[in-house]
Amino acid sequence: MNPVLVLGGGPAGLSAAAELAALGAPVLLVEKAEYLGGNPKRWHYSLLAPDLTPAEEVMGPLLRRVEDTDLIERRLRSTVTRAEPRDRGFRVELSGPESSGWREVSSVILATGFDHFDSRRKYEYGYGRYPALIDFKEFEGMIHDDRLTRPSDGALPKRIAWLLCVGSRDVQVGNPWCCRMGCAVSIKQAVEVRQKHPEIDAYVYYMDIRTYGLWEDLYWKSMNQYGVKFVRGRIGQITQAEGGKRLVATGEDTLLSRPTEVPFDMIVLASGMEPGTGTKDAAQIFGLHVGPEGFLTPKLSDLNPVDSGRPGIFLAGAATGPKAIPDSVTEGMGAALRAYKYARD
Amino acid sequence: MPIVEKSLVEGLQRTETLEVEGIDVSGDWNTFIASRVHTDLDLSIVDWVRGQPQGTTIDRCWQCGTCTAGCCLHTDYGLEEFNPRYFIYLAQLGFEKELARYAQTVWRCVSCNKCVERCPKGVKVEEVVHSIGTYLELSGTAPKSPADRFDEAYTRNLLERGILDEAGLFQAFEAGEGRTLPTREKLRMGLKLLFSGRLHTGPLAKRTRGWGRLRPVLERMLAEDLAGRRRGLPSRRPPTGGP
Ligand code: SF4
Ligand code: SF4
Ligand code: SF4
Repeated sequence: MNPVLVLGGGPAGLSAAAELAALGAPVLLVEKAEYLGGNPKRWHYSLLAPDLTPAEEVMGPLLRRVEDTDLIERRLRSTVTRAEPRDRGFRVELSGPESSGWREVSSVILATGFDHFDSRRKYEYGYGRYPALIDFKEFEGMIHDDRLTRPSDGALPKRIAWLLCVGSRDVQVGNPWCCRMGCAVSIKQAVEVRQKHPEIDAYVYYMDIRTYGLWEDLYWKSMNQYGVKFVRGRIGQITQAEGGKRLVATGEDTLLSRPTEVPFDMIVLASGMEPGTGTKDAAQIFGLHVGPEGFLTPKLSDLNPVDSGRPGIFLAGAATGPKAIPDSVTEGMGAALRAYKYARD
Repeated sequence: MPIVEKSLVEGLQRTETLEVEGIDVSGDWNTFIASRVHTDLDLSIVDWVRGQPQGTTIDRCWQCGTCTAGCCLHTDYGLEEFNPRYFIYLAQLGFEKELARYAQTVWRCVSCNKCVERCPKGVKVEEVVHSIGTYLELSGTAPKSPADRFDEAYTRNLLERGILDEAGLFQAFEAGEGRTLPTREKLRMGLKLLFSGRLHTGPLAKRTRGWGRLRPVLERMLAEDLAGRRRGLPSRRPPTGGP
């Protein structure tokens, strides 16, 4: 059997590859970065929402399952540049430092993931210009290593704000969808801060809190147990004060119908999820349909969410829309099963 | 620009005379509108309330308004400014000045506990609202109302001899408020008290037996109670934010 091509080494791709290997199928795992692990690895995710499990405890075993088998051929810093359908399966052109050229594969799983929204595009906030303004993917690394200092002067911040929906639910940046995890991750970060440093006050600015399903527990806990404060309103702009030591968030407290201009030592932006560059490229190379949002669209999202509609091509993870790690892992398993069945039949 | 509908403006401040850089500019320029912009968040109220036996659930509130919707005062009685959800939010984020406007209103809660029955987050709304009221009372954030001053005059009067001197209380309260009833009206009330045997003021004063010993005990208890209730109150800060 020719190997199954798994494109993308994040949670969904790793899960798919590990599952295929468990079924005894050979896998060609292609990842454009120089490491496996995807966004969780890239940004040093700290604890995972909603159960506050250390990210290593999830990604570690997943990585080991992929690395501890000879059935998975791993190609890092590599991409697929062209693909041609065969009678069964595909011929794909790889480009990478170790091996370039055409390879025969029996089926394809696209797990090309997402990119975090580039918060600089929300120019009225000043990300990239103000050192005390942090994107929450960077903040993950900061709490992970307990480097909770104001970038401006190294002091421990006394008051931190999280702004939700940055680059999500916003036609001005072209992203009308909800990122699905920004609320939970921000609230989780606020809880982590309060656990480590109860003297820091934590405020979350929100329009809606979308901690769906059982994740709601995290939201309740953050209030009931950790005293995280929630202010309803979307911050309109941020300016610097005290020579850059603090930031002033200007917004409206919509529960009070009152304008607010509140100083913070640090502001964290919950930047949304966008289709990854790899997703756009893959759509083009494999001739797949993308939805108006730019994510890959399964043919029957209700009945078979991992089926692209084109024979032999399967989808998993955030390539089809914002998704949390457990959902990506599950889809990886589903896609593995479908791809295996296709390759074997 | 002159402010025409002054009555509609919230947070209006007037000065009778005004000097700017040594020049007297009194006149039509004496009216200012305080900024409505809230410029700080202050957690000392919520910290205090949480520390009270009645206030432990304040952090849970997520502002859904279920309590207010069912509150008999707000909805049935139509007392719109009595809004438990709003009181809690103001306390949670430390909008002390805005909260002070409701220092009298918060006590109108009739403790029907409908809010507590219905709150989806398990906030003991009725208790939290009372706790907020206590905060406002003890911290001196809100100006005293005539009712507060009457309470104080009443306590002082009672402590004097251990028995209420109604005429004396009335006089003291009147003097404190700077208001007086017409003499005829007072005479009418005085006579009524006299004939019903309740006029014991001045030379007619009665005194509870053993009051000389009881009074210091009571006074000490009151002082201890107040000190206990004040414990943990934030030290007075300069007011922040709000009009
Ligand atoms: S998950 Fe939360 S932060 Fe993300 S877009 Fe939806 S509402 Fe906004
Ligand atoms: S019902 Fe409970 S959660 Fe809802 S506003 Fe009232 S106190 Fe808050
Ligand atoms: S207990 Fe007080 S606040 Fe609650 S519903 Fe009754 S009157 Fe309203």
